[in-house]
Amino acid sequence: MKTIDAKGKTLKIVNRALKQSLNGQPVTVRNAGRVHGLAAGLRHGELIVRGNAGDYLGALNSGATITVTQDAGRYLADNMTAGLVVVEGRAEYGAAQYGYGGAVVVRGDAGDFTATMNKGATVIVCGNVGDDVGTYMLKGDLIVVGNAGERFANYLIRGSVYIGGAWTSLGHNTRVEPLSGEDVARLRAYFETYGIAADPGAFKKVVAASEKPFYN
Amino acid sequence: MTALGAFCVSVHKDVCVNARMPGKCAMCAEVCPYGVYALDSATGEVHIQNYNACVGCRICAEFCPANAIRINPAESEQISRYPWTLGAVEEIHYKAQTGEYMLRGFGTLGPTPHFDTINVVPSQIASAAPLDKYREECDLEVVIGEDTCEQPIRLKAPFVWAAMSFGALSKEAKMALAIGAAMTGIATNTGEGGLVPEEAWLSRGYADERRERKQWEPGGYLIIQWSTGRWGVSADYVNSGDAVEVKIGQGAKPGMGGHLLGAKVTEDVSRVRGVPVGSDALSPCRYYDVQSLDDMKHMVAFLRDVTDYRYPILFKLGPSRPYADVAACIEAGADAISIDGLMGGTGCSPDLVTQGVGIPTIACLPPAVQALKDYGVHRKVKLIALGGIRNGLDAFKAMAMGADAVGFGSAAEVAMGCRVCFACQKGNCPYGITSQKPEMRARLDPLEAGQRLANFIHACTEEVKILTMLSGHRRIADLSTEDLRAMDVNTAAITGLKLIGYDRPLAMWESVSPAALLPHGGNGRTQRERRDKKPGAPARRRVAAKGR
Repeated sequence: MKTIDAKGKTLKIVNRALKQSLNGQPVTVRNAGRVHGLAAGLRHGELIVRGNAGDYLGALNSGATITVTQDAGRYLADNMTAGLVVVEGRAEYGAAQYGYGGAVVVRGDAGDFTATMNKGATVIVCGNVGDDVGTYMLKGDLIVVGNAGERFANYLIRGSVYIGGAWTSLGHNTRVEPLSGEDVARLRAYFETYGIAADPGAFKKVVAASEKPFYN
Repeated sequence: MTALGAFCVSVHKDVCVNARMPGKCAMCAEVCPYGVYALDSATGEVHIQNYNACVGCRICAEFCPANAIRINPAESEQISRYPWTLGAVEEIHYKAQTGEYMLRGFGTLGPTPHFDTINVVPSQIASAAPLDKYREECDLEVVIGEDTCEQPIRLKAPFVWAAMSFGALSKEAKMALAIGAAMTGIATNTGEGGLVPEEAWLSRGYADERRERKQWEPGGYLIIQWSTGRWGVSADYVNSGDAVEVKIGQGAKPGMGGHLLGAKVTEDVSRVRGVPVGSDALSPCRYYDVQSLDDMKHMVAFLRDVTDYRYPILFKLGPSRPYADVAACIEAGADAISIDGLMGGTGCSPDLVTQGVGIPTIACLPPAVQALKDYGVHRKVKLIALGGIRNGLDAFKAMAMGADAVGFGSAAEVAMGCRVCFACQKGNCPYGITSQKPEMRARLDPLEAGQRLANFIHACTEEVKILTMLSGHRRIADLSTEDLRAMDVNTAAITGLKLIGYDRPLAMWESVSPAALLPHGGNGRTQRERRDKKPGAPARRRVAAKGR
């Protein structure tokens, strides 16, 4: 397995080395905590970040599989369109924003504004999340196994939001709906796929009260 | 001031076909998208049922076979009843009835400091002699990203189309802008509503996707906008153009995000934006994934990386604190900065924001240029002036004030056929420019509109050339504020230009440092740099003495 040491290197050098190394084999990147924008715009390949990752990891990801063995910085998997990003530790502020597709799994906690303006990605947080999570979500699935902070799913327009714990406050334009059999099956499938120990039946589902909460 | 009640509709009954032969013609009722006319199905007569609904688009007059309709602006009211004009009264009634604030399209209405109070001074004997427009050459090319990118943009004329999104504009209008850009070698901009696939090849001069043969020379450029709503954005999207523009704000609604009302969110728009059909697409006012200038630097870094360091990165600013904002863009690594003044247009905005928020274009330019000069990058990092630019004269004035190029937004719409009715947000544009309705869109032929846009650019290019050469310059990059004079004290005070007659800048411009206008009073470094550049200043003398 090819290993890249990112210590003291610029984004350009690290990402160019990464693109040259992705030829079927997984690539490991070490000391990437200060590289912001690592693996941006990758279309394929498998990448393992040993230790912590910097900000904007996997931005515009279009098909790569990225695993972080510890914590991820802010804006994880920003504007992702395809692929998979798994963080074994925590994710800071603004993970999985503006996602059009693919999946982001955070095993630990995630910060404020996670999955903001999600437009089709699947976002799973196994721990707790901060405030304003799922703001103005337009499509996709957001699953929080733990608890959420203030204004959870604020101005939700479309998509499904599931939560296993409790929220401090629920956002505008939201409504709690009972879980259907289909929802339980869907959650169970996700949990099996990503190896998450949780009881799908104990989750609550939040949906949009209206698709048109603004001027019309 | 609003467009409500601003027009008087009158029908000349002697020539109106319907008045003479009820049932024979009801074209006005058919084409009016705002319900001004009503057809009585029993008698076949057409009546004017709602005078105040007229927005002045004049589509009825265009279609009337007898030329019987006149739409007159109710301008005299501005004098006789101001401030309680019919528009102001109607606005209060609207709010009282609905509890809603007013939304509208296009730009600022009413008198505002603008380029009209600035005049050009030609060369005579004391300065460089004027050049001959008819028999000599003039360099109008503008290069963006020359030293920083592998594929810089080389505009054949100092113009770009301002960013206008698919959604706000129809697909046909976006295609026309791309064709106009290809015919003239300038750049079109996707706006924030994602890419219309045709734009990618039309803007480069190709008639179809295969890109085998160029249909239009010299071929233009496509600027990809990266905005706060991130509609339709992917790695492929940012790589499909020739530059990436990071939108921070816009002139018509600085501090707010894009407004696209549900009336214009059709199936096609919904597919690009991911917003349900008929639901408003309201972009956030800021980037959720940027919290500081450092974050913005990182964002620019990964955008450069994703585009493989080929394309320039532009920033687009609304009119707020031009010195500080432009300085921040330079720090973030911009190759060009578009600054959109108060007169900048929009597809939809709260009326009070369009009307009362931001500063005029002519007031944005001096501090923006000062920031570029303080950082030593004036004419390297390009400055693009936007907001109310109507012709070559406005463009020349903006460039002499320090801009490198100008953008046409509203003017481009007008060149396509718009009659400025301020109702873009309703989605009923009778000329098919800002409507998503098939029957309206069918009225806009992209090829014809593209040719009109190209003609407009050709005319403006010649205008700029005339003015540049009569000022004694061979290159637009040589233009300076010395080529302009302010016509009144207000303009001289706002712009720092020399006042006519007095023939020097007002004394206030000698002593005030724009750096002091930074939110925190400016930092020491830029002020020190400014002082160093002044001849005779202590720091400069010290450096000179050391040199000897």
